[in-house]
This record gives sequence, structure tokens and C-alpha cells, in this order.
Amino acid sequence: MLSCHPTLDMLTDYSSGSLSLAHALAVSTHLDQCAHCREQVKRLNMLGAELLSKQADTAPQSQMSALKSSVLARITAQSEPTSEQATAPAPSSALSDTLRHIPATLRRYIPEGYDKLKWMSLTPSFKLATLSNESSGEQIALLYIKAGAAMPYHTHTGDEITLVLSGAFSDEEGLYRAGDFIRRGDEDHHQPRVTKDADCICLIVLDSPIEFTGRFSRFFNPIMRYFHPSRLAG
Amino acid sequence: MVSENLDSDHTLVDDMALIATQKNTAALERLFDHYAPRIRAFCLSAQPGSNLMADDIAQEVMIRIWNKAHLYNPATASLNTWVFTIARNARIDYMRKNGRYQSDIDPDGFWSELVDENADPFSDVQQKRDQERIRNGLNELPNDQQQVLSKVYLEGKSHSEASQELGLPLGTVKSRVRLALNKLSVIIKR
Repeated sequence: MLSCHPTLDMLTDYSSGSLSLAHALAVSTHLDQCAHCREQVKRLNMLGAELLSKQADTAPQSQMSALKSSVLARITAQSEPTSEQATAPAPSSALSDTLRHIPATLRRYIPEGYDKLKWMSLTPSFKLATLSNESSGEQIALLYIKAGAAMPYHTHTGDEITLVLSGAFSDEEGLYRAGDFIRRGDEDHHQPRVTKDADCICLIVLDSPIEFTGRFSRFFNPIMRYFHPSRLAG
Repeated sequence: MVSENLDSDHTLVDDMALIATQKNTAALERLFDHYAPRIRAFCLSAQPGSNLMADDIAQEVMIRIWNKAHLYNPATASLNTWVFTIARNARIDYMRKNGRYQSDIDPDGFWSELVDENADPFSDVQQKRDQERIRNGLNELPNDQQQVLSKVYLEGKSHSEASQELGLPLGTVKSRVRLALNKLSVIIKR
């Protein structure tokens, strides 16, 4: 049983489509691993469906006919079979061992497994691989931390979402396992430590660059800033 | 109105099967007549007056329905829910490509009922019951709660955007959404 989930507000924004895509990606990755939140989102989607079906458009009949003809023309024009035509995603049982352990939402960003990503080593026991830099300034990345190691002490301006993909870590507030979804604000000042039994991989979504606050790790701040998209934006 | 909705939903599900197995265009026309006006209205509530955007998204949704009909499984989600998630994703996609913040993330790859490998095949009856309760409950919600739900779901506003536009404290918006979700029994207790 997972102990950390997105809030109901966040699931509602996910279902209604107003969450930023970076945050929505983290929520969707959590849904891959959490039956309870999947049920919750299903119900929220039902509500969206009911509200949609109560909508009435006032467009004149002629405009709707023109639109319909255009849809029919477009489907006939599609060469058959088109590459755009949807195929069902492969069931996880058909996937290689490498990919099966990656949540379905993330597979398109990690097509050849964790090992083939471009990892940047920040310390001998701590690596980071960027999956996407959003033009809004959000950064989506994976963290890889060796068993038993501590992540450098850090704070951040803006929110940070951490989703455990494998292994486990703990901080002052508790123990977090695969599937756990943790959202922290900028006032948090924490030092996660990975449990000794296994390496830990986490998905992180940052609103703004991470800051390392230890005496030694101040060294990393310029590096992290260098790789953060907001530097490029402005 | 309610019973008409249920009946038409049934034949529309049959139409989905006709598209999946025979690529039947008459079936798509019937789905268009039912859904396209609703999708246009859904888009216009987010961007009043943007008729071009509404037309674009409605077309895109109908084409996705055509191309994905063979993936639709009535046991995992009602057709209305399936179309809602397609319309919502198409609207996000439109904003992603034309909006202020462009993004490489494609919402089409997100978790959905459609590809839920763990879906309970016996939940069909439960699903219909939930849906009916939501449908009937919506008519009985107080106006202020209907208003926030429509801000959030139809206009696609976040809780904080809704609070700004309604001139209400964020806490009030959140609690109204929560009260509404509670009354509709949308919230699942942990």
C-alpha cells in the first residue's frame, strides 16, 4: 500500500486538464502504479463526461454540415493503413525485462531502458538525467542514487514533485517506496537518504532550479543552474 | 431527456463497433451529430468566441474516434467518458501546439481507462450506477457549486485561476469543489 498520493485538488486538475503537462506527467506515472488514484480519476472523468454531455452548441446547421463534410473528407483521404492510426500499446507482458519495470507513461521518454539515458554524474553516488525541459521553465528529470547514499542537502524555490520509481528513500518525515508521490514547497529543507538494500530511481519535476545547501555541495549549484531550462529562457 | 441520453448512448456504442469492424462512415456521421456540437461548446466555454479553434478540435476529436474505435472497450469506460478524455486531451494538445507554453509532452501517452490492463471487467454495473448518480446529482447542486465545477471542467481553469476569475478566496473555491464532489459521491474514501 502506497502512503503518498497526489491531493484530490491535483487529481481534479489532472482530470479537467488544467494541470501543467509536467505535473500531469508525474500524476499519470503515479496512476500507473496506484489502483486507488486510478479509481478516483475514473470517477472524476465520469463527472467531466456528464458535464460535457450536458453542453449544447448554438452553431447553425449549415456550419455543422460543412464541418461534418470536412471530417468525412479527411478520413477518406487518410491513406490506408496510416501510421497515425492508433495501435493498442503493447501489454507489459510482451515487453523486455528492461522496459517492463518502467511505468507505461514514461516508456516513450526512456525507450531503451534507464541504462541508455544520458546521465550526468554529480557525485560518485548521485546521477541526473533530464527527460524534458519545458518552455515554462519546468524541468523533468530522473535521479539515480546509490543504495545507502544521501542526496546532497538542498532546498528549492518553487515546487518539487518526487515520484519513487524503484528502491526507497527516507527523510526526516518518513520512508518512501516505489509509487509514492511527494510534493514539496520551497520552504522545505530536506535531506533524503536512500535505504541500504537497493539503488533508488526517482522521477522529479521541478518548477525552478534545485539548490544545494551543504558546505561542500554549494559547488554543484552553478552546475545545476547551468542545466536548468530557466537559464536558457532568460 | 435522461432516458433519451441512455438510449442514444446504446446505439452510439453500436456505432463504435460498426466503425471498428467495417469502417462504416454512416456510423461516424451519427457520432458526429451527437458529439461534435457538445465538443464545440466545450471548447467555446474555455475560449469564448474562438469558433475556429472549436471547429479544429471538434474535427480532430472525430478523427481520433474514427482511428481509435477498435481500441474502445465498453467494459472499461462508458462512451461518454471515453469521448470526454479524448476531447480534453485534444484541447490540451491544441494549447500545447498553439499556446503560450509549448511542450514536448504529449498527453496522449498518459494513463487512461482505455489501456488500463488492471481494469475490473465486472465493474460495468457499478460504473453505470455511479454515472447515473452523478447525472442526477448534478441537477440538484446549488448554483455556486455548479458554477465552480463548470469553471474547472468546462473552462479548464485551475483552482487558483477560478478563484481569481470569480473573485473568491482560493479556499472557498476548493471547498465548493470538494462539497460538490462529495455530494456527487465522486470522492473515494481511503
